[in-house]
Amino acid sequence: MRYAGMQLLLDDIKSDLSVAQAVPAMTTDGRCMRCGQKQAVTLPIGWRYCPVCVNLGRVVEGQSLFRFEAPRFPPTASLTWQGELTHAQQQASAELCASVKAQREHLLWAVTGAGKTEMLFPAIAQLLNKGGRVGVAAPRIDVVRELAPRLAQAFAHTPMAVRYGGAPWPKQDVQLTVLTTHQLLRYYHCFDLLVIDEVDAFPFAHDAALMYAAQHAVIGSMVWLSATPDQKLLQQGRRGKIGLSTLPRRFHGYPLPVPKLAWVKKVHLPQQLPQPLLDQLKKLVTTHRVLLFVPDIDWLRPIVKALRRQLNVAVQSVHAQDEAREAKVLAFRAGEIQVMVTTTILERGVTIHRCAVVVLSADSPRFGHDALIQMAGRAGRAADSPDDPVWFYVQHYTRDLQVAITTIEQLNHMKAG
Amino acid sequence: MACVLCGQPIQIEWTLTKIFTLTKVRAPHLCRACLRQFTRIDQANACPGCGRADSPTLCYDCQRWQKAGYPLLHHRAVFQYDGAMKSFIQQYKGLGDWRLHVAFQDLIQPPKSTYVPIPTEAGHYQARGFDPVLGLFDHLSLHQWLEKADTPVPQAQKNRAGRLMTPQSFSVRPLVSLAQISQITLLDDLYTTGRTLYHAADALREAGFHGTITSFSLIR
Repeated sequence: MRYAGMQLLLDDIKSDLSVAQAVPAMTTDGRCMRCGQKQAVTLPIGWRYCPVCVNLGRVVEGQSLFRFEAPRFPPTASLTWQGELTHAQQQASAELCASVKAQREHLLWAVTGAGKTEMLFPAIAQLLNKGGRVGVAAPRIDVVRELAPRLAQAFAHTPMAVRYGGAPWPKQDVQLTVLTTHQLLRYYHCFDLLVIDEVDAFPFAHDAALMYAAQHAVIGSMVWLSATPDQKLLQQGRRGKIGLSTLPRRFHGYPLPVPKLAWVKKVHLPQQLPQPLLDQLKKLVTTHRVLLFVPDIDWLRPIVKALRRQLNVAVQSVHAQDEAREAKVLAFRAGEIQVMVTTTILERGVTIHRCAVVVLSADSPRFGHDALIQMAGRAGRAADSPDDPVWFYVQHYTRDLQVAITTIEQLNHMKAG
Repeated sequence: MACVLCGQPIQIEWTLTKIFTLTKVRAPHLCRACLRQFTRIDQANACPGCGRADSPTLCYDCQRWQKAGYPLLHHRAVFQYDGAMKSFIQQYKGLGDWRLHVAFQDLIQPPKSTYVPIPTEAGHYQARGFDPVLGLFDHLSLHQWLEKADTPVPQAQKNRAGRLMTPQSFSVRPLVSLAQISQITLLDDLYTTGRTLYHAADALREAGFHGTITSFSLIR
């Protein structure tokens, strides 16, 4: 059955409706049954619709949501991944498997570059082997695109679907689904295991509709993954309300690169780049690719222009609305671009070999401590280059800078467990 | 105020001129980042007939309307129909997200006139639950004098030739008196070939209107 485990509007459905269970799409008091939010807007004609999840098709009062059952698959041996986990990874992975078996929520707090995805494989395999359904969701489309091929390789014989806005609809029912957290709104009581990667990232973090969607899409256990979990989730873990595994080491065993601070005056940014920054970049490009983070999308153009003049290497920029976003990230990964100037859009889920990180105006209020940790986490991810430099260019020392740097230092001193 | 497109809070930039000259400041409904995606038409270089961007002299299409005997509408439009505007229209009219109707109201300031909106078909109104043109302009005082009969295929699903061959489907509502009025500005969301607006102007003239008819739309 093509729509197994989904909840859809009439317009979405191109096959037999009789197998679906129809429920009212909106309650009489104006709560949307798809996203759980009560923010209905009244149309001039008199009926109400839900504006919160309208991008997935409009939920209107008086209409139905069609829910399709999610039958089990026959048991198989699913894992085709041949790699090995480190001792610390194995331990976290075993804790995770135990939580999944007990149908308990679990938080996996692993530093950037710890090999979170690989640690998931045994838990995912455990459920797929029993014929269960597994969803792996991430808030950002870039992370979904990075996760999908790795999962497809690790479970080579398991049909997998990748779902994000604009992607074609799956033609058949699949056991393994990789999707954006927005797409979870289309699933109901479907996944025996649902993994939410980068749980603290926009747009999932602080979005009540997406949290509702995640909780209703799952029927078994939920696993949260993060390198920078928020206090609420961490506290639940520490108090034993949910399972918690901590992995403070990268898979290669080297400590996280600690950001170094450099002071600059910001008055002429972004039109004039300070000379010390230019000197630093000139030095870095001889040995590394460079991710240069800036706080404002308007800074990209003047900075790219200046760097192209000053540095004799390929410089590009990428931002959220960039139509060539996917191609540019691929070109950067392939080494065709030496310096990538970007906003926080590339702070997560991107792994570049031998990559130095420079954050310009790291004291900007736009960069919270978790963003700073994530950006610094793009450096030193490979075993043959674990100490790629990380520079924060600032005018003032802020609370977020302090929290970010001390957290990284603490993680470097922490023991696994 | 939150931006109706991205939900981020909007900061109004107060300048001393705004505060001291007592000009009416309309609260924007889009944040700067969202507004920047859209391309405004430079009015000084727009076609005098249809408001098309980068056509300071009368464009070929307008010359054809003129040759066919239509008095030009001297159409004006605020934005170009580019990718950003297509996705706006998709969310507003396609998905039916009524909240967006206010998005550009602080920027839609047609010259003073008697405003007559192009009506939506009854069938479309039933499906959407609102009239997209009335929504965009509901900060103006509107005169709903035109009616539209249901047509089998909407304009949006036709090609250029198909659009131009569309027969007249507008009529002026009974009991509307046009005698006292010297100027009418027709309002629409989108000007593509001009066929819709010229039909509407014809309908007004057939009903006995003798004044000037111009037109205005959000997008060209």
